[in-house]
Amino acid sequence: TTGADVEDEMEPVAKSAEDRKAAAALSKLDTHGDDDAAAPARGVDQEAVLNAMNALGGGAKGADDKKKQEALKKVKVDAADVALLVDELELSKAKATEMLKAHDGDAVKALRAFVAPAF
Amino acid sequence: MPQTLSTREANLFRTVIRHYEDKQYKRGLKAAEQILKKNPKHGDTMSMKALIMNAQGKTEEAFALAKDALTIDMKSHICWHVYGILYRTNKNFDEAIKAYKFALKLEPESVQIQRDLAVLQVQMRDYQGYVQSRFAMLKARPQVRQNWTALAIAYHLDGNLSQAENILTTYEKSVTSAPSKTDYENSEAVLYKNSIIAEVGDIERALTHLESDAKNSLDRLAVMELRARYLAELGRKEEAAKAYRALVERNSERPEYYKRLVDVLDIPEGDEAVLKAVYDEYAAKNPRCDAAKRLPLDFLTGDNFRAAAKAYLNLMFDKGVPSTFANLKHLYSDQYKRDIMPILAEEYLEERKSNQVANGDSSKGAGAALYFLAQHYNYHMSRDLAKASSYVDKAVELDPKNTDFHMTRARIYKHQDDTQKASEAMDHARSLDTRDRYINSKAAKYQLRNNENEKALATMGLFTRAETVGGPLADLIDMQCIWFLTEDGEAWQRRGNVGMALKRLHTIFNIFDIWQEDQFDFHSFSLRKGQVRAYIDLIRWEDQLRDHPFYFRAALDAVKLYIEMYDKPQGANGVNGIDGKTTNGEDAAEKKKAAKKAKKEAQKAEREAAEKAAKQDPNKPSAQKTKDVEDTKKKDDDPTGLRLAGTTDPLADAMKFLGHMLQFSPKNIEGQIAGFEVFIRKKKYLQALRCLKAAMTLDKDHPTVQEQITKLQKALDPILDTLPPKVQEVISLEFTPAVAKA
Amino acid sequence: MDIRLLRPSDIPLIQHANLENLPENYFLKYYLYHALSWPQLSYVAVDVSRPPKTPYDYPKIVGYVLAKMDEEPTDGVQHGHITSLSVMRTHRKLGIAEKLMRQSQLAMVETFGAHYVSLHVRVSNAAAIHLYRDTLKFQTEKTELKYYADGEDAFCMKLDLQPIREQVREAIAAEKAAAGG
Repeated sequence: TTGADVEDEMEPVAKSAEDRKAAAALSKLDTHGDDDAAAPARGVDQEAVLNAMNALGGGAKGADDKKKQEALKKVKVDAADVALLVDELELSKAKATEMLKAHDGDAVKALRAFVAPAF
Repeated sequence: MPQTLSTREANLFRTVIRHYEDKQYKRGLKAAEQILKKNPKHGDTMSMKALIMNAQGKTEEAFALAKDALTIDMKSHICWHVYGILYRTNKNFDEAIKAYKFALKLEPESVQIQRDLAVLQVQMRDYQGYVQSRFAMLKARPQVRQNWTALAIAYHLDGNLSQAENILTTYEKSVTSAPSKTDYENSEAVLYKNSIIAEVGDIERALTHLESDAKNSLDRLAVMELRARYLAELGRKEEAAKAYRALVERNSERPEYYKRLVDVLDIPEGDEAVLKAVYDEYAAKNPRCDAAKRLPLDFLTGDNFRAAAKAYLNLMFDKGVPSTFANLKHLYSDQYKRDIMPILAEEYLEERKSNQVANGDSSKGAGAALYFLAQHYNYHMSRDLAKASSYVDKAVELDPKNTDFHMTRARIYKHQDDTQKASEAMDHARSLDTRDRYINSKAAKYQLRNNENEKALATMGLFTRAETVGGPLADLIDMQCIWFLTEDGEAWQRRGNVGMALKRLHTIFNIFDIWQEDQFDFHSFSLRKGQVRAYIDLIRWEDQLRDHPFYFRAALDAVKLYIEMYDKPQGANGVNGIDGKTTNGEDAAEKKKAAKKAKKEAQKAEREAAEKAAKQDPNKPSAQKTKDVEDTKKKDDDPTGLRLAGTTDPLADAMKFLGHMLQFSPKNIEGQIAGFEVFIRKKKYLQALRCLKAAMTLDKDHPTVQEQITKLQKALDPILDTLPPKVQEVISLEFTPAVAKA
Repeated sequence: MDIRLLRPSDIPLIQHANLENLPENYFLKYYLYHALSWPQLSYVAVDVSRPPKTPYDYPKIVGYVLAKMDEEPTDGVQHGHITSLSVMRTHRKLGIAEKLMRQSQLAMVETFGAHYVSLHVRVSNAAAIHLYRDTLKFQTEKTELKYYADGEDAFCMKLDLQPIREQVREAIAAEKAAAGG
């Protein structure tokens, strides 16, 4: 590599000491460092941790959420109604479908809810 | 089929990655090309090359190359990861998440991909996805506390408070040694857990936890405040009072502490004397404390008020405190108080007549009282501009060199709608203290109010950094100086220069994008720092970022401008947007001239910047060179907003600003009114009706709202039966005659 | 007027106050960096007597102190640093700057164990130098040449926080005694 190359690649130097401090701090924000090296500062009971982990489950949603989502999935939605909402309210298809499902697939109900002030 | 590399080239590939991470792009590129010379179809190297090109600003080529790499090697997690990063840096977050997920499927053990995915999920507020990612990360390395805290945060943000607390507790239980007293991470984690318990609403348990687990916390103020609050909420008034007294002792300028102290003291309703005694105690203890002296003015009435207000005013005038009026004007909603203030100031003048300027400092004594009176009569609730003028004249007579007096004079002119004189007076005030940026900023603002954009920029230039390429404006944009951009845009708008106005308003829009993007690094940074509560505050605030009046004002300006453009389509040259009737009596020709002049000025500024850059000593440090590269990258190809002004679909452009306005500031009636005007022009009647109904809920007597009701009716009458039946039904149910008349 | 801890939601108006008052300006992200690294150290003075114009008004900031800990102290001694301090011209003479500084210094000691606090000030800024040296008792350590972008020199000033350290130690001891007895 030539010297010129190296020079080209130097970080822009801020004009004052004050600016250099700010620039340096901000440029370091996203450096991750080696997380593995972040060894536990305090003693951790590995076995207890593993047991606790297993008791936690899979980070999945709660049973209530699941039920609600299942119920929503079952709601039937008319494609014409989806198109109507997409056109009138300028929404994505997904959003329009979601809105219809939340109102039992009833377009008039969904639109009335949309029109009513939310506060 | 993907090619495999020789050992030498595999080593070279690692240096490509290292160079990229160190931002040594040229070197990285060189090494990548060396590999590709022998292995032109090595997907991972192609991807790395694409990544480097992307960092150099060659977005399109980077995407093309990354796509090629993927077709060659669909099974490479590196190719998918890079693809995701390209989408991420180009702000297509949904596609980025998909690519990361693919990469992760191919390489489930990759810490880096998992982390990139997690950060993007929380940035996009996909909290359920974030919970799953953080769970996987915890599983991979449960010995690191950060991973436990992170999972708790994920559950917390997802609204699952009990699980969040559970996670924190689980970690605590698995720790075998006691935390050290200076373990900041631990101290913060304990308080974080405490805040979750309180958020659940179990105050009793929150207090117990605070007093047992957080008693050695390093954030002493937080513990004191939480404890006082919990005690008060639990009705343990005596202890709460003690706790609040300790807080007042610590910071006697915090009105909230006094208020809460008084709340738990059980003072008989309306007993002003007892109430005042609480404050007097602290005023006596701490002679430099302002709050203890000022706050009783809020609740005192009649002669009690008069006596206290007089004592307070006399003291402030003697000291020459310029914020005296600003700190008292909230009292003016009470007419008695509003009426008595000028009388007290006059009394002061009468009593101090013999001693006009104390020690040559005109801001004290009589000068202060005159200054107060001028502000009093300039204030909208007690306005009498003739009187305001005469008081400010007297003050100036006392000391012609006092900046504050002249500043107030300028404000009076402003309220007299004389923007010219106001601008001159503020500039005169500026000339009396040229080292103070505050008065400099005010002078520039008043120049803008008087449509003197060029002059104002020159005034600002007295304090911006001289070396910024592109001059003062570039510096102000860099430094995200919203107020200037707003005022400058509005002035251009009044001058009929639609392009320049839109340019400024879009710049403000972009600054809000930057502010939203700013949180990105903190998703992992805050975990490393262990500052959890502040991070949660950040997330909550960023969620509401665009409800800021800074955004609303610029957005409303832009929407209104686009509506005008729609109503009065521009001439063929596309320069000049609006013509005719509008402001300041400037006619269309004059406006065209102004726009031309602005364009010329912008070109001149550009030329000068280029010359300046060219004059730089080529042997000087490379910083300048690198900066130039950066500058070409950032180069604005529409500096005067001609392209913005030439839009063929102003209503679509308006939507960019309007959507956020309606989403984040729905209770601001001006936004709903503007929304109605956009939607009715787009013939989106249900959306127009929604704005109208919101506006009616906010203020049904608003004259514009009343007009809009009629407007909607008139628009609907002839076409109602042509609308889809379900829309008709909704309108008949929601826009009934009764609603319209309400 | 209300003196309290800085919150992230205050930052646009802190940045605004900074831009109005001072020639040293920063990106919003630099304020965030302070607020998220040392959330106990930065304080604001708020004008509470402004009647709100909309439901979305943010408290008007009339003064602030933006403070940090030195992350890699060259002398190996934990210490704080004042990045920026400013009070609106219209709100001077109420001692706001001093009150902001005192709150920040206390937290530097309590939360981060600071031994001293340092700052830079323009050599020409007589009012600020008066505040630091005469009111707050800072000592001038040295002059840093051309510290500012426009070429002006800075005084580097320091305040020993030992008195506050003792005060905090006593307060904690008193609390312990009260809890024990």
